[in-house]
Amino acid sequence: MLQQDNDILLEMAHDIQDTYGYIPEREITQLAEKFSEPRAKIYGALEFYSMLYTEPTGKYIVRICDSISCFLHDSDEVLEAVQDYLELESGETSDDKLFTLEVVECLGHCGEGPVMMVNDRMYTELTSGRAIEILSECQ
Amino acid sequence: MVQERKFLKGPRLRNPADYDFPGLQRALKMEPEEVIQEISESKLLGRGGAGFPTGTKWDMAFKEEGEFKYIICNADEGEPGTFKDRYLLDERTLKVLEGMLIGAYVIDADYGYIYIRGEYFKSIKILQEALEEAREAGILGENILGSDFSFDIKLVRGAGCYVCGDETSLLNSLEGMRGQSRTKPPYPISKGLCGCPTLVNNVESLACVAEILHQGASEFATMGTEDSKGTKLVCLSGDVNYPGVYEVEFGSSTLQEIITDLGGGPRKSHDIKFVIPGGLSTRILTRDKLDYKYSYEGLEEAGSSLGSGGVMVVGSEQDLTAILTRIARFYMDESCGTCFPCREGNQQIYKIISRVGKGKFTVNQLEIIEDLGNAMAEAARCGLGQSAQYPTGTILAEFKEELVEGAVY
Repeated sequence: MLQQDNDILLEMAHDIQDTYGYIPEREITQLAEKFSEPRAKIYGALEFYSMLYTEPTGKYIVRICDSISCFLHDSDEVLEAVQDYLELESGETSDDKLFTLEVVECLGHCGEGPVMMVNDRMYTELTSGRAIEILSECQ
Repeated sequence: MVQERKFLKGPRLRNPADYDFPGLQRALKMEPEEVIQEISESKLLGRGGAGFPTGTKWDMAFKEEGEFKYIICNADEGEPGTFKDRYLLDERTLKVLEGMLIGAYVIDADYGYIYIRGEYFKSIKILQEALEEAREAGILGENILGSDFSFDIKLVRGAGCYVCGDETSLLNSLEGMRGQSRTKPPYPISKGLCGCPTLVNNVESLACVAEILHQGASEFATMGTEDSKGTKLVCLSGDVNYPGVYEVEFGSSTLQEIITDLGGGPRKSHDIKFVIPGGLSTRILTRDKLDYKYSYEGLEEAGSSLGSGGVMVVGSEQDLTAILTRIARFYMDESCGTCFPCREGNQQIYKIISRVGKGKFTVNQLEIIEDLGNAMAEAARCGLGQSAQYPTGTILAEFKEELVEGAVY
């Protein structure tokens, strides 16, 4: 799939997602037309990436790192507290569409673990209490 | 007492108005061959993890001919325990840009991409602004710094996929496909992005290039050992008092000294159980093997490798099975699924380890994990599968007594 310098599928997908919060089917159809590719191929490419969503997510995407360095600073306790508070397992979205919870691999803040991202904001050196405080402010 | 040697580190450098790009200025007055010569003389090795000589890579890229040529800055830093590229992108932004511009000038690249991991929202914002300002300041675009050299860069956000740090997966991802690895050869140097010659360099390598051209290869080569020149950004994390990014001159200290003097020793535990010395995909070193000099050859002698520079310290009171479970889950989750040894092997290893839970391994289970790891090392297509066995295999081998049911060794 040869692309022009400014037509990078990933970037276009990000832009669409920044607008709608996910990538709606009609946009996939348009991308397929733009790149002269079958819709399945575009859909298959987008589905590969864990940060791209083809279904609506919660208003707040909560990503918690449970990789080695964070685990050495008890990320498992933070994760458990957040799961209990949100009543969600990894990959699930709350019924009120407020939260989507994801357990993720390394977020590149290994020196400041445990870490959690809420949408594009990073919170470091968390405790369970602080994590819940942050989430309780998300309305 | 080990101290930092600041070569790459320095004050925040984001606004082109505050910086005159001395390395680039110098390079533009030289012939491309002379720049390559200088990089080769510095003996700079790629800082992304594989340690390939940068001068050689640039020379190959220089000699390649194609309709288009590309240069890519690999900023898809995702190796667990590694956060040095983020430091450079955030704080030394223009040095990275400068290294990339020098590379583009040398190989006569038509266009450049910075592929950055999607989770680095802050770095993305900083880079977007820096690129825009660089265009306004005439550092990007037509006739850069008044020379004949024209070039521009596009920032591309990844989307949560570790394997895209592998250069062939990164290329597929840029081309709008799933980020699955390609078979090599052909290497990206000859057939990369859209089949054109493509030079892919790590963020830290490019920052090194900018400093080498600024301060000179001879200055760079005064630091370090015979085989490891210069400095390395070490990311200290895990059970240490003062985690962070430290710049260490090669050969100046041992891992133990780095952990004790810079990291302040273990925080929670009495003692160190083991260290993962170069990002997750390296063999562990037990505490009796921490007295080798911190250099490419030193860590190889110790039985591991320098990798990406992510040093993770595991304290003596940590639960090994919980760590193994997380390592196995990482490789299972991040496998791109193209080649079956990696896809199936990592799933089976995760199944076995998570089944053990808080219990003990049987000898048979250890053998199966070892077999699977060896098969992946032999048959997996890219580095992810090939190196998946390093941390797991070495933890199982070193701590058999602790992990195996009724073990008598």
